[in-house]
Amino acid sequence: MSEPLLACEDIVKVFPGVRALDQVGLRLQAGTVHALLGENGAGKSTLIKVLTGVHAPDGGRLRWQGDEVHLRSPLEAGRLGIGVVHQERNVIPGFSVAENITLQQPPARRGLISPAAMIGPARDCLQELGLDLDPRLPVRELSVAQQQLVEIAKALHTDSRVLLLDEPTASLSPGEAERLFEVIRRLTARGTCVVFVSHKLEEVFALCDTVTVLRDGRSVLESAPLSEHTHDDIVSLMVGRAHAATAFTPRTVDASGPAALSLTGIATAAGHEDVSFDVATGEIVGLYGLVGAGRSELVKAVLGLDRVHSGEVRVHGEPASISSPRQALHRYGIGYLTENRKEEGVFLDQPITRNIAVTVWRKLAGALGQVSSKREQAVAQDLVDRLGIRLARLGQNAGELSGGNQQKVSLAKWLATDTRLLIVDEPTVGVDVRTKHAFHELLWELARDGMPIVLISSDLGEMVTLADRVVVMAGHRVRGQVANDHDYERMSQRIIRLIHDRPAPEAAVEKGRMTP
Amino acid sequence: MRTAAVAPDAGTEEPQTPPRTSDRLPFWVNQRLGLLVLTIGLALLFGALRPAFFDARLVLFPLLRDISTLTVVALAQMVVLSVGHMNLAVGRMAAFGALFAGFGYDRLGLPLPLGLLLCLAAGAAIGALTGWIIARTGVGSFVVTLAMDFALLGLVSLAYSALTENAAFTSTPAGLDELRAYSLADICVGPVCGSPAIPQIAQFTVLALIALGFLYSCTRIGRELLLTGANPAAAELSGIPTKRRVVTAHALSGLLAALAGFMAAAGTGTFRASIGDDFMLPSFLGAVLGGTLLTGGVVSVVGALLGTSLVAVIRKGLDLLGVGLESLNIYLGCVLLLALSADRVRNVLSYRKVVRST
Ligand SMILES: Nc1ncnc2c1ncn2[C@@H]1O[C@H](COP(=O)(O)OP(=O)(O)OP(=O)(O)O)[C@@H](O)[C@H]1O
Ligand SMILES: [Mg+2]
Repeated sequence: MSEPLLACEDIVKVFPGVRALDQVGLRLQAGTVHALLGENGAGKSTLIKVLTGVHAPDGGRLRWQGDEVHLRSPLEAGRLGIGVVHQERNVIPGFSVAENITLQQPPARRGLISPAAMIGPARDCLQELGLDLDPRLPVRELSVAQQQLVEIAKALHTDSRVLLLDEPTASLSPGEAERLFEVIRRLTARGTCVVFVSHKLEEVFALCDTVTVLRDGRSVLESAPLSEHTHDDIVSLMVGRAHAATAFTPRTVDASGPAALSLTGIATAAGHEDVSFDVATGEIVGLYGLVGAGRSELVKAVLGLDRVHSGEVRVHGEPASISSPRQALHRYGIGYLTENRKEEGVFLDQPITRNIAVTVWRKLAGALGQVSSKREQAVAQDLVDRLGIRLARLGQNAGELSGGNQQKVSLAKWLATDTRLLIVDEPTVGVDVRTKHAFHELLWELARDGMPIVLISSDLGEMVTLADRVVVMAGHRVRGQVANDHDYERMSQRIIRLIHDRPAPEAAVEKGRMTP
Repeated sequence: MRTAAVAPDAGTEEPQTPPRTSDRLPFWVNQRLGLLVLTIGLALLFGALRPAFFDARLVLFPLLRDISTLTVVALAQMVVLSVGHMNLAVGRMAAFGALFAGFGYDRLGLPLPLGLLLCLAAGAAIGALTGWIIARTGVGSFVVTLAMDFALLGLVSLAYSALTENAAFTSTPAGLDELRAYSLADICVGPVCGSPAIPQIAQFTVLALIALGFLYSCTRIGRELLLTGANPAAAELSGIPTKRRVVTAHALSGLLAALAGFMAAAGTGTFRASIGDDFMLPSFLGAVLGGTLLTGGVVSVVGALLGTSLVAVIRKGLDLLGVGLESLNIYLGCVLLLALSADRVRNVLSYRKVVRST
C-alpha cells in the first residue's frame, strides 16, 4: 500500500473524567473517502479536533506523508492542507456569506481586503454545492441547513489535501446531501482524501471506501475496506454487541375528543398562508418539507415568537392565543424541542442539572422561591438514566458532552415537566443508530401514553417510522396530507409528488385539510 | 459561594484550553481561596512594613468601611452581569437614591429607617425603569445605562441646586452619626465588646451578601437570572420570562446601588450630588476579580467581597507606604494582573493533574 497522506498512531486524548481517545490509529490514503463511525461520545469529533490541531494529543504521533508533525493550532493544520468542517457551526453570523467562505484566505490587494473580489470565488464554491444564494447575504439570515452548506463551501475554498467532514449531512435534506456526495466524489477523483463522519449508514455505504470504527475512545476497526463489511457488522462493531431494532408495539390514535392542537387558516408574518391541520391525542403528525418550507417558522409563530396574522389556534378544544413560549409551556403544556441545539437548545456553559431542571423550577420551588438542589438533581438523574445520557458528572457543563448527548439533554427538559403537547424539530440530528432507535421508541411510547406529537424532520425514514400522518409543506403552505402506511417507497413517492405539486393518482392522498 | 459552574475560557466549541470543571479539581484551584490568601498575605506584608497598618481605629476602621460600601457597589454590578448586561450608571443611581434619603431627612423629617427605605425604593424604581427600557426596546444595556448615567447626572445636580442652599442636605436624622462612627466596640454583651476595627455600617453589606448568596444558590429566580445571562434565546424557549428577569436584575442593581449611596453618604455625613462619582470602575473590578463573568451566567457573591477587599487593601497599604497616586495606580495594575494570571496558572496546573489521573 502506498504511503498514507495523513496517519496517526496510538493517539491518546484525556479530558477530566474521560479518556476520549485511547490509542487510536488512522491511515488516510489519497483519493479515498474514509468513514469514521461510532456512537455518540465515541470520540469521533475529538479525533478530528486532534487531527486539526484544536486539541493537543496527550500521546501518540501524527504523520503527514510519513514525516512526524506536531500541530499546534488549527492554522498550522490548515497550512499543511488539512481542511475541516466541525460538527458545530463556526460561521460568523454578522459576516456575509462571501466573507465567511473566504475567511481563511481573503482575497487581498496590497494588504487590503477587497469585498468585491470575494463574491466570485464564494459564488463558485456555492455553485459547486448547488446552492443558489446571494453571497452578500449575512449568514445570520440563513437556515441551519444553509449555514451548514456555507461552512462546507468554506472548507472547499481552502483547497485541502485532506478534508475532514464531521457530520456534514446532519441537517441536510437527501437532495442536498446527494449534491455534497457528488462534490466529494469529484474531490477524491482529484486525489483529495475525505474523512466522512455520519450516523446515517446508508450514506456511508453509498459513499465511502474505507472505514474506522471507534468505540469508547478505542478503534475497534482500523482503516479497513468498507466493502468487506455488512451494514449489520458495522452496527455491531459500533455498539459492541449485536444490535437488533425491535418492532414497536402498535398504538391507536384517540380521535374521539377535541384535537390536542388544531390550526385553521393560519397566516403569519413569516409568509405562511392558509395553514391548517389537526393533531389528535396520542397522534404523531409529521411535518415534512424541503429546507425552507417554513416548518420551524410555523411552529415558532404558533408559540408566539412571530406574529400570526389570521387564523385560529385551538389547544385541546379551547381557542388559544399564545404570546410566548413561556405561556405555551405553563398554560398550555406545549414543549418545543428546537432544531438549533447550540443556539437555542442547551446552555453550554451551565451544568447538566440546570439544563434539565429549568422547566420544573416553578414546581420545585418552595415558599421563598428556593429550589432544593437535591430534588433538582433527582429529576436530572432520573432523566439521565431514562435517556441513557453519557456523562462524567451531573455538575459537568453541557458543552462538554458529545453532540448526541447534548441533544438528549435538550429533550430531557421537556420530559421533566408535564408536557401535554410535544413539538420536536429534527430530534435525531446527529444521534447514533442505537440512540436514534431509543429516541424513536421514546417518542412512540410517549404517543402511546396519549401525548400528541408534532414531528418536524427532514429524515424521511424517520417520518415513515413514526408518523401517523404526514403533512407536506412547501413554500410556506400545506401542500397536502398523506396517511402513513409505513412503506418507505410508496410514501416517498407520494410526498415528493405533493411537494412538486403533481396530484398523485392514488386515492389515499387528499389535498388540504383532513381529519384523522 | 460560587453559584454557577466555572465557565470555559472563551468559545465553548473548540476549547483551545479545555474547560475547567469545578467539582473535580483540587481545592487549591478555587479562585476565591486564592484571593483570600493573597489579600491576607498582602495585609500581613503591609503590616510588617508599616505596623500602623493594623491600627484598628485609624486604618482598619476606615478601610473596612470602604470595603463595606464598595462591596455593595460590586454586588450591584454583579447582579446585572449575571444576566449578561452591565450597569454604567451604578454611581449615579447611588446618588439618586441618596438624594431621596437626604430629601426625606431634611424636608420630611423622616426617621432613619424610613429614609433608608425611601432611598432603596427610589434606587429600585430607577433600576427597574432602566431594565424595562432595555427589555422593551432591545437596545443594549451599555447604551441605555450610559444614557441613564447622563440623565441622572443632570437630574440629581438640578435637584440639589433647587432643593438646597449649598448643594447638600446636611440635617441628619438621629442615629446617622452613630451609624458612621460606631464599631463593634460599641456593642457589648456583658464585659465582652466587639472589635473597634469593624464598623457597624458593615451590617448592610453582610445582609446584602447573605441575601444575594441565597438568591443565586438556592432560588428559582437566581437560577433564571443566570440562565438568562448564559443564553437568552434558549432561556426564552425554556419558558423563562427573560424580559422580566432583565427588569429584576436592573431593579436589584438599582436597589443595591442606592444602598451603597446611602452608606457612602452616612460615611461622610452629608447627602450631596457627588456621591457615587467613583463607583463605576471599582464595581467592575470587584465583581470580575471575584470570578463573575462579563458575559453572563456565572457569578460569585463572596468573590465580589474578596475582589473588593484585595483592591482596597492594596490601595491602603501603598498609601501608607507613601507611594504617590500615579505610581499607586501602576502598582495596583500590576498586582491585579498578577492575581488574574495566578488564577490561570493554577487552573492549567490542576487541569494537567486531573488529566494525568484519568
Ligand atoms: N472539551 C471537553 N471537555 C471534557 N470532555 C469532553 C470534551 N470534549 C469531548 N469530551 C468527552 O469526550 C468524549 C468523546 O466526545 P466526542 O465529541 O469526540 O464524541 P463523538 O464521537 O463526536 O460523538 P457524537 O456522535 O455525539 O458527536 C465524550 O465522552 C465527551 O463527553
Ligand atoms: Mg461529534
